[in-house]
Amino acid sequence: MTKLILNRRNFIGTAAMSGAALASPVYLRRAHAAGGEVNIWTYNEFVPTAFKEQFEAETGIKVNVRLVDDQGKQFNLLAAEAPNPSVDIMTVAGHRFLQFIDSDLLTPLDTDRLKNWGAINPTFSESDWATINGHKWGAPILSGMEVLSYNTELVTPEEAETWDTLFSDKYKGQTAYVIQDMMSIVMLKMGYDGNMVAYMDDPAKAAEIVEEVKQYLIEKKPLVRKYYDGGAEVQQMFVNQDIALAQSWNGPAAALINDGFPLAMSIPKEGSYGFVYTFNIANNAPNLDNAYTFLDAILASPEIGASMTKASGFISTYKGASEYLSDIEKKSTSFPEEQLANLQFFRAEANDMKYKLIDPAVEAIKAS
Amino acid sequence: MSDDAAGRSFSKAEIAGQGERTFWGRLANWPLYRGFTAFLTASPRRQFVILAIFPLIWVLTQHLGPMLQMLRVSLTDAYPVAPGTEQHFTLQNYTRFFGDRIFWQPFFRTLIFAGVFTFCTLILTYPVAYFLARHVSRKNQVLMLLLLLIPFWVGEVVRTYAIMILLGNTGAVNMVLKWIGLIDRPIPFMYTSFSMGVGIVYLTALYMLLPLYSALEKLPKSYNEAAADLGAGAWTRFRRVTLPLTLEGISSGCTLVFLISTGFYATPVLLGGPSTTVFAETIAGFFHVAGDQWPTGAAFATIMFAAALVLTGIFQKLMNSLRKGDTK
Amino acid sequence: MNRGNRILLSCVYWAFVLYVFVPLVLMIMMGFKDSKFIGFPIRSWTLDWYAGVFANTEVLATFGYSVAIAVLSTLISVAVGTWIAVLLEGRKFFGRAALFGLTILPALVPGIISAIAFRIYARMLGIEPGMGAIIWAHAVHNVPFVVLVVSARLSTMPKSQIEAARDLGADPIVAFLRITLPYLVPAILGASIFCLLLSFDDFVRSFFLGGYKPTLPVLIFAKLKSGMSPEINAIATVALVLTAAIGLWAERFTRRMNKES
Repeated sequence: MTKLILNRRNFIGTAAMSGAALASPVYLRRAHAAGGEVNIWTYNEFVPTAFKEQFEAETGIKVNVRLVDDQGKQFNLLAAEAPNPSVDIMTVAGHRFLQFIDSDLLTPLDTDRLKNWGAINPTFSESDWATINGHKWGAPILSGMEVLSYNTELVTPEEAETWDTLFSDKYKGQTAYVIQDMMSIVMLKMGYDGNMVAYMDDPAKAAEIVEEVKQYLIEKKPLVRKYYDGGAEVQQMFVNQDIALAQSWNGPAAALINDGFPLAMSIPKEGSYGFVYTFNIANNAPNLDNAYTFLDAILASPEIGASMTKASGFISTYKGASEYLSDIEKKSTSFPEEQLANLQFFRAEANDMKYKLIDPAVEAIKAS
Repeated sequence: MSDDAAGRSFSKAEIAGQGERTFWGRLANWPLYRGFTAFLTASPRRQFVILAIFPLIWVLTQHLGPMLQMLRVSLTDAYPVAPGTEQHFTLQNYTRFFGDRIFWQPFFRTLIFAGVFTFCTLILTYPVAYFLARHVSRKNQVLMLLLLLIPFWVGEVVRTYAIMILLGNTGAVNMVLKWIGLIDRPIPFMYTSFSMGVGIVYLTALYMLLPLYSALEKLPKSYNEAAADLGAGAWTRFRRVTLPLTLEGISSGCTLVFLISTGFYATPVLLGGPSTTVFAETIAGFFHVAGDQWPTGAAFATIMFAAALVLTGIFQKLMNSLRKGDTK
Repeated sequence: MNRGNRILLSCVYWAFVLYVFVPLVLMIMMGFKDSKFIGFPIRSWTLDWYAGVFANTEVLATFGYSVAIAVLSTLISVAVGTWIAVLLEGRKFFGRAALFGLTILPALVPGIISAIAFRIYARMLGIEPGMGAIIWAHAVHNVPFVVLVVSARLSTMPKSQIEAARDLGADPIVAFLRITLPYLVPAILGASIFCLLLSFDDFVRSFFLGGYKPTLPVLIFAKLKSGMSPEINAIATVALVLTAAIGLWAERFTRRMNKES
């Protein structure tokens, strides 16, 4: 009942404002009045257009997609809207769950309400990172990982077997990485737990490790061309041949490979981290039932998973999705078994401690 | 963009609208309007109050309001407040800046960059504005000015990527240099202070160009001619006549550019290198990570703001005294 | 005037034109590249990206949305900014410096901070995110730029003109409308260009204060997430051409209005 009143109030506010401005967004009025809608925050092309149109036609539920480009901004926006968000479903990276959960922004996922939950590969749906405080918090849709991407005309596959190549004098000024991500990887490379879960009871040890990694990255700073942030940046650096190799996420690299660029990826022998994008339901979501209807529908067919992969370059979490991919797409989204064995997932448990140590370290590296 | 009003002479009837036929005449003689203006302008004091009241309300509610919110956040230990916890007042976010040297470098770098880029923009655009205002016929002036404005309508990010494919290793510049035979291996222009400067001057040029142009454009040519008649050389004429009379334009252009430069985020992040981190990047970092960093971000933003304000104030004072010194 | 100087200056001007236009030309050119990524070398060309922009009504609608926001917010900024400039310029009163400081405040706050501050403040005031909220934030943010530009012009206005008008019996309102305002027209036009630009290019405020309908920069940022594709260049180019067309039309229109009156 409260929710209904709230919606009515929202509706009046919006309508009054749209009336004042000339070009009023029509869908807002209709959406709020009818209630037959679902509001989604997600990345470009994570909700395939064909699926969206079909879903709207079949259920009569209007899908409003708001495009986001960054997890941090999404968090800030949601935090600013809480406790009455305008959104039903968000796209959160698995290892950032905890931040959203701690701020009370997500509601646990009732998997019994999703009859297609079983369509997800259990590696993702039943993985240990996916369960926090005894609940499932999101439906995995795409998985990504930290990889070593390299221009095959300049770097050999053998060189790409180790993260050390990224710090070798041979490629001075031809490398790039995301500095926060690299901190975790360097920890792993040095034989530590990059998730820092192992040091939760020993903050002194944790600080010591971060300090060691920091010193290492400062020492290697003259070799790096660019500390970057976004996938589009690393793609552009490869295209412009400003770099020969980089730490990157597999999605942006796969997109380059699919476009015919001489690029390859490897999961180096020291290991690497994976993460999963999940669809999550917002705490106090205005259209809870529609959100479940939507989630169940998007999980319904591996073909939908495949089209998400085609658009993003990330690997679908759906069983059997790869059957719908072309040969080159299959190639850019698969890794040899022995490399996959080196992969582990990012975990969120120690994030509070980890980022309190890492953020100042990152500042120090940049400032050095 | 010429100013008709400045050079036009007005007849009494035209100004006061005593000729009954014009709109102004009718308005001025309309009793209701007369009563209204009489009420408004009864005393200079009332006139001032009425003029001041709206700006005051606007500035307090619209300009100060959001900032006070921010200031409040910067003085708390947690924001947004996690459920089940309490928010406390603290100065810790401020002491964190002064207590840790690693934040000083991007901070001072930003101020220095902003100053240097402002100066570069001034040096680059002054001759352009001068050429436009002094050597181009009136008719073509607006056209040529508009020509320069076109590229600024392309969004910052799209333009920044265009600069990447201009300066990259396989970019247009390296391609041309190679083709001419000047180089064998590409020159790494990208991700240096140079590429960052190219991008930032692009962003700021417009904000410098327009004030400079409008200052130069209203400068009567006769001044220079008079100075020439008195035997002053080109350089002397520029230094003694043109420059002092365009100080106002320089001042407002530099203020604008400096203020905007301190807040730049996307361009330095995309075009800069490992050692060009600016303070806006540091601040943004606090908002992109864990939720309890907002207060620190807000505090750092307040510090940046205070510094920029002080510097702008000093600069304006300096320009004012320069101007006064010249008229004496 | 010295011929050598003149030639030198014209070289500088054209060099500057080259500097600002080369990236623009590259951008337009890349929209024709047959690949998902911009950059050299270009192996084959296509019209698909440009055709796609016109086939996709979302992009054109987004453009219209951004233009509407830019125009409406500029009208507010210019009106408010001119008012404040008139109050501040050439007057001495208690708290003038403080008022000036407050006036330029929004320009000093870094984008992300200002966006979040606006978002929090909007919630406090009960303003729903959407077009109205974006217009409000843009309008407030752009006021300082108007004040700075208009003040600069105002300070050069000969006092004698207003005094003459007052001597001739004009009341302050008429004197303002007939003498001051016409004198300020070039500055107001310049300030409007600033405001339109700032609003049209703004990402952070539009993102934080917008609803489910993106403005052009928000759409471009979201698309950028899956790579800097020639599609984005095509969108930007089409937007540029449309803006230029609107600008030309507006210029013609005002000129005709001026002739008629």
